[in-house]
Amino acid sequence: MKKIILSVSLMMIVGISSSELIGQCNSDNLSNACIPKLSGGFNFLKSYKIDGENGGKDKVEYSYVFTKGTQYMINICAEGQATDGIVVTLFDSGRNKVATSKINGQFISAIAYPCNATGIYYIQYTFDGSASHCGGSALGFKR
Amino acid sequence: MTFGKDRVISNFVNDKKMAMRILLVLLLAGILASCGSGKKPDEQAFLNTLDSAKNQGATIDEAVISSILQQIPSPLEISVLLKESGTKYNSSILNTPDNLPKYNNNYKKALNLGIYGTDLGYTNIYEQNQDGIKYLTSIKSLADGLNIGQFFDIETIGRLATNSKNLDSLLLITTQNFNDINSYLQAQSRANLSVLLLTGGWIEAMQITCQVASKNPQNKELQEKVGEQKIILENIMLLLSFYKDTDENMASLLKDLEELKSAYDKINIVYTYKESTMEIVNGVAEIKDNSTTTIQITEQDVNNIKTITESIRTKITS
Repeated sequence: MKKIILSVSLMMIVGISSSELIGQCNSDNLSNACIPKLSGGFNFLKSYKIDGENGGKDKVEYSYVFTKGTQYMINICAEGQATDGIVVTLFDSGRNKVATSKINGQFISAIAYPCNATGIYYIQYTFDGSASHCGGSALGFKR
Repeated sequence: MTFGKDRVISNFVNDKKMAMRILLVLLLAGILASCGSGKKPDEQAFLNTLDSAKNQGATIDEAVISSILQQIPSPLEISVLLKESGTKYNSSILNTPDNLPKYNNNYKKALNLGIYGTDLGYTNIYEQNQDGIKYLTSIKSLADGLNIGQFFDIETIGRLATNSKNLDSLLLITTQNFNDINSYLQAQSRANLSVLLLTGGWIEAMQITCQVASKNPQNKELQEKVGEQKIILENIMLLLSFYKDTDENMASLLKDLEELKSAYDKINIVYTYKESTMEIVNGVAEIKDNSTTTIQITEQDVNNIKTITESIRTKITS
């Protein structure tokens, strides 16, 4: 009986631990970490979780109404200093590409977008050679 | 011998009972651990105390609602615009915190929580700390009434509000609080309250903008700001439409907004797309937006929108 209890206990401990470790993306922490990284003068608006579910999702998308005359900043945070292959691309309501954080093969951690046309914009995060498929992002604005 | 045998049997039975108990405890622990997202007592209390604003629309797609809700811009953007355009602080255009006792059902509480949230942002931007604290007190009371008061650390916010050097922290913490409330309500399948909160916040921002724009007809940027709210209005009406068959208050609010929409039907927003250009400056991708929008709105349109907005807001705040 003791052996059965021991086996069940071990199985449960291993099961619980592995379910927490495997595929765990702490995008909440990463998005919160991104907020203070907004450049000076930008007021915080939103934080976004980027959870690619270990490659199960090829993109994560949010939307926001940007207004003419306002400058927006969107940054990306991943484990470590770099963006871990996470790219943010901005599309207008007609799905025309307006901005991207991958320029000439270089991954940039923030984009500054002085909006000249009010409308709904799609903020799309994709994974380009990302190891973790996990990150966070913050949106700020200034006039 | 018999005694010895009985003791062996008794020990075996006791061992077995003990083993079963331990196994049961472990299994229960496992179940509890695997259900780590279980409801906290305050969450359960919140669910139990919902009244008229209770969501009965089982067919409502909450993912769709959530995706529309997140688009609604922060009223803080309007306050910053007003301050930077040189408009003076005017507390008389806000909803007085003294109206708090009038809000005695969840529908009114949620709407006016949004309204006071916008007013708090306005007082913060203008660094009117004493007024801000009064709004904060009313906000905390409404939030408590909706069982979401745990998101406001009134002591910390109050302390930040007493020193203008803390403005950035104050704006950050209040924005985060409202974002957290919206996420929480949506996670609790009570997005209807989130819709009301954001609608209230938007109506107050609209009302403030219209008041200032009508007094400054030479300020074309403010007129355009009123005009471009057409996009937000359409989103808010879409959100309310999801609840019109299950919540008579929300249906009535939607009807009121239809009148506002008819005023907005005269306003045209012309969008012209032109590819943008980018360059990297100090590690930031700086975009040059070459697209434009032209907002066709007249002074008469602004006054008309102002009148309708005031009428809707009076219904909510009185």
